[in-house]
Amino acid sequence: MGRKEDNIARATEVMHQRERIRNLAIAAHIDHGKTTLSDNLIAGAGMMSEDLAGKSRVLDFDEQESARGITINAASASMVHKVGDDDYLINLIDTPGHVDFGGDVTRAMRAVDGCIILACAVEGTMPQTETVVRQALKEKVRPVLFINKVDRLINELQIDGPEMMKRFEKIILKVNKLISTFAPEDVKKDWQVSVQNGTVAFGSAYYNWGMSMPFMAKSGLNFKDIFEHCAADDQKALAKKAPVHEVLLDMAVEQLPSPLISQKYRIPNIWQGDLESVEGKAMMECDSSGPLSLMITKIWMDPHAGEVAVGRVYSGSIKHGESLWAIGGAKAERVQQVAMMVGGDRIQVPEVTAGNIAAITGIRSAAAGVTIARDKDAEPFEAIRHYSEPVVTVAVEPKAMKDLPKFIGALQGLAKSDASLQVKTNQETGEALLAGMGELHLEITVYRLEEEQGIKVKVSEPIVVYRESVESNNSGRPFEGKSPNRHNRFYLEAEPLSPEVVQALREGHFGDGTIRNKDAKSVGDKFAEFGMEKNLMRKIYAIHGTNVLVNDTKGIQNLHETRELIIEGFNEVCKKGPVADEPLMGVMLRLVDAKLHEDAIHRGPAQTIPAVRNACKGALIRSRPVILEPMQNLRVDAPNDVIGGVTREVTNRRGIIEDMPVDGGTASVIGKMPVAETFGFSNDIRAASQGRAVWNTENAGFEILPISLFDKTVGEIRERKGLKPEVPVEANYSD
Amino acid sequence: MEGRRLPRFTMTDGGLPAGLWLIGLGPGDIGLMTADGIEHARACEYRFLEGYTATLPIDQEILLESVIGPWKRVMRPQIESPQNILELAKESSVAILVVGDPMQATTHIDLEGHCYDEGISFTIIPGLSAISLAISLSGLQSYRFGRQVTIPFDYGNYLPTSPLEFIYANYANNLHTLVLLDLDPSGMGIDPPSPMMPAKAIGLLKAMDERLIEQESSIPKSMDEAVADWKGILLTDLGTPEQRIVSGRLEDLAMIESGRIHCLILPAEFTGMESEAYRRRLLKH
Ligand SMILES: Nc1nc2c(ncn2[C@@H]2O[C@H](COP(=O)(O)OP(=O)(O)OP(=O)(O)O)[C@@H](O)[C@H]2O)c(=O)[nH]1
Ligand SMILES: [Mg+2]
Repeated sequence: MGRKEDNIARATEVMHQRERIRNLAIAAHIDHGKTTLSDNLIAGAGMMSEDLAGKSRVLDFDEQESARGITINAASASMVHKVGDDDYLINLIDTPGHVDFGGDVTRAMRAVDGCIILACAVEGTMPQTETVVRQALKEKVRPVLFINKVDRLINELQIDGPEMMKRFEKIILKVNKLISTFAPEDVKKDWQVSVQNGTVAFGSAYYNWGMSMPFMAKSGLNFKDIFEHCAADDQKALAKKAPVHEVLLDMAVEQLPSPLISQKYRIPNIWQGDLESVEGKAMMECDSSGPLSLMITKIWMDPHAGEVAVGRVYSGSIKHGESLWAIGGAKAERVQQVAMMVGGDRIQVPEVTAGNIAAITGIRSAAAGVTIARDKDAEPFEAIRHYSEPVVTVAVEPKAMKDLPKFIGALQGLAKSDASLQVKTNQETGEALLAGMGELHLEITVYRLEEEQGIKVKVSEPIVVYRESVESNNSGRPFEGKSPNRHNRFYLEAEPLSPEVVQALREGHFGDGTIRNKDAKSVGDKFAEFGMEKNLMRKIYAIHGTNVLVNDTKGIQNLHETRELIIEGFNEVCKKGPVADEPLMGVMLRLVDAKLHEDAIHRGPAQTIPAVRNACKGALIRSRPVILEPMQNLRVDAPNDVIGGVTREVTNRRGIIEDMPVDGGTASVIGKMPVAETFGFSNDIRAASQGRAVWNTENAGFEILPISLFDKTVGEIRERKGLKPEVPVEANYSD
Repeated sequence: MEGRRLPRFTMTDGGLPAGLWLIGLGPGDIGLMTADGIEHARACEYRFLEGYTATLPIDQEILLESVIGPWKRVMRPQIESPQNILELAKESSVAILVVGDPMQATTHIDLEGHCYDEGISFTIIPGLSAISLAISLSGLQSYRFGRQVTIPFDYGNYLPTSPLEFIYANYANNLHTLVLLDLDPSGMGIDPPSPMMPAKAIGLLKAMDERLIEQESSIPKSMDEAVADWKGILLTDLGTPEQRIVSGRLEDLAMIESGRIHCLILPAEFTGMESEAYRRRLLKH
């Protein structure tokens, strides 16, 4: 048996010992070395050649990933690590660092219990570092810290010991501040990281060495040894004495929780069912003999096996050949293969048990976020909440009409494997709107269509997805919406919600969709915690995204049986606002009065839905509508002598500069810029800085579009959608 | 409104004055149209057949043209936003032909209002209605009927329960219920009607019953038996040669798959003569 085979055999063995499993993600800012490190861990554990480790980036097995040198897909790999006499199974997920692929990080966090946060010793913590720490904590995933690229501090920056400690301190301080801000109350203190308690390690993923306090104690090595090896240009020897995989996998085993421990506090966070039920108990105890509960976190397309679904088994075990339900799917489906992931290899196994990450094929209705169980009516896991929504859209169509069926099929496949991509197709014209997280995300999607699927396509200029909202309200002046038969009338008022409430809605604090009658009281009380009027919010009907509908009427006969239809009218307006058919954001709509026909036949869907839709739209128009545009936080680092050109590019694009710190010969521009202005920025900034600027962006939510641009922007959006360019007025919705 | 207020005319003195004429065609067979209706429909310059509250069998549509002259079909949007028709009626005589008795369709009172507001002459010529046929042919006493209800198609999660609530209220007062069935699944009044079949209607009654239980409704259930076991009289294609009237348990009536348009009567407790009439109509297996 080769070393790899031997490892696989051991892995399938330890899989059953829950206290010896560690599920962890590696997350960081772009290029800080996640994939290099992941390779190293895999190689160190004997799953690939050690010479290749750090150079081949096995987990970037996708062609686009190799070509661009960045990670696009979260990839998982399992390995065995020995501590003392015991084998431990490490299920590792490498995640992408580029903001466009942040959705993959969020989903990966659902599958793991711990996380190695990487920070580059030279760059320190960056915007995405902050984001990934928040993503981990939101899922109650415990972080530890690895400070990478220390070789560069020593060799390139020629930094001495005290200076190095200062830099480490700064990074650790920042990460701890994030933890105390975003961690759940009960673990804020316990989860702080420090060199002393062994939750911080540092080293070089590229040169394969690492160091931590516990490892220094174990090996007798110290800081001086590190400096000496680096100075003597003999990091290879250092890697022999202090291999990074050993240091980090030791840290994972000792510091990060096993599923047996973590599921006790993670399950209540991600599952709404009864914790005392058979299913609930099985999950709390990570019991592999209990009912199966698995959550899919990633789908990818394998050229041979087709769709592969990767997910975390929280209880029970998943076996080859059995018939299972993807909750919400139309029928039970048979599991064709069950496997563990090792780099690019899928190793088939007869079953994967509770506490592990499994790769399965055969469940066609699985998608990221879907719960898999044996029982059709099992309570599904909480939806995975994403921090940012798609902000850039392109229209794509096949160049040759004959490719249309293949094109539509290919898009469906892409949408399924990439949960951050939103696809809307027009079956007749063949035009598809692809909404993604940024320019790069869409560029890669188009590349896949063209090169991997062989379909030549026409692509429009990027289109920004705006939001609609209101600045004021029409309290006391409700807008009347009439049904086509004029026998039914609805009276609506609109008002903006506070930023705190909008944020809480976005995080799913109050739930989503239609609020059941029996839940309205408790949901209303949650709103009251945010300073909203309790008695009003207890009459909530529905939540759609960041918008809410409240029934503020009294004693209107038959209103209750029209409820679903009223909610549907509201939902339609949330999807397409009154001004430009763009999604609505941060608005409360209040039904204050209604006149209904006595006979249900005259107030069916075809009457009620348009009446409510018009009433909502008119109320919004009456409440001073605004357009919200997506913004990006921006950070550009460039040598002092070219920074002037950089600031000019930023301000020319309606950018706002918030800070311009100078550090020796480099200056930084820190600020904000509308996404609409970022197209082509990359080229211009390169020209302005002679290619010496490094820049990063991060989605920064929405801000009100300046009033001076309102008519023009609305006109352009409407024209693109084939609507009349004039901005709608109340009269458009009064009849 | 006093008298019949029909403007006088003869076939020779140049037809009707300008205005809107709402003319009932009777329940489906042109043979049941009144002489008055035929005469006025013929005399109008424009004729529109309202095609969404009810329909004619196709052979009767063809026959209609030979009896009254050419006509055009209009659907809900043109009747509910009748501006074009009203403009026409300001200058010419316009007939809107409605299957059954025109004012039995709730929505047509709107036309009267519009005409009143715009000073357009408006005349109703009643037709024989399926509702009065249903009551007559059921063999039940007309004074013993309570409020009539219509069962609408369901839509996603939407299912109104008020029709069943009215039925319960009728039972509680020992009154029969005439149940009409929706014929427009989209509710938009733009597609050719596709009348609800007995199985669907009875299925919806059961679903409403379940929903009332689920909502712990305060509506008193005045019937102890399960919906499937209720007595019913199914009336099919009234006023046409295919007319069929049968009585039985709802479960059995739900099996009937023939016929075009159906309505249902849910009888309360029978008086002597009524129960014999019910028995004479029993469905034969
Ligand atoms: N000098 C030095 N270079 C490193 C080290 N770790 C990684 N690199 C280099 O940094 C670059 C980025 O490494 P990756 O491993 O692809 O980074 P990543 O974090 O996976 O990047 P994304 O997945 O795109 O976010 C590569 O050129 C690596 O060779 C290190 O410890 N020292
Ligand atoms: Mg990577």
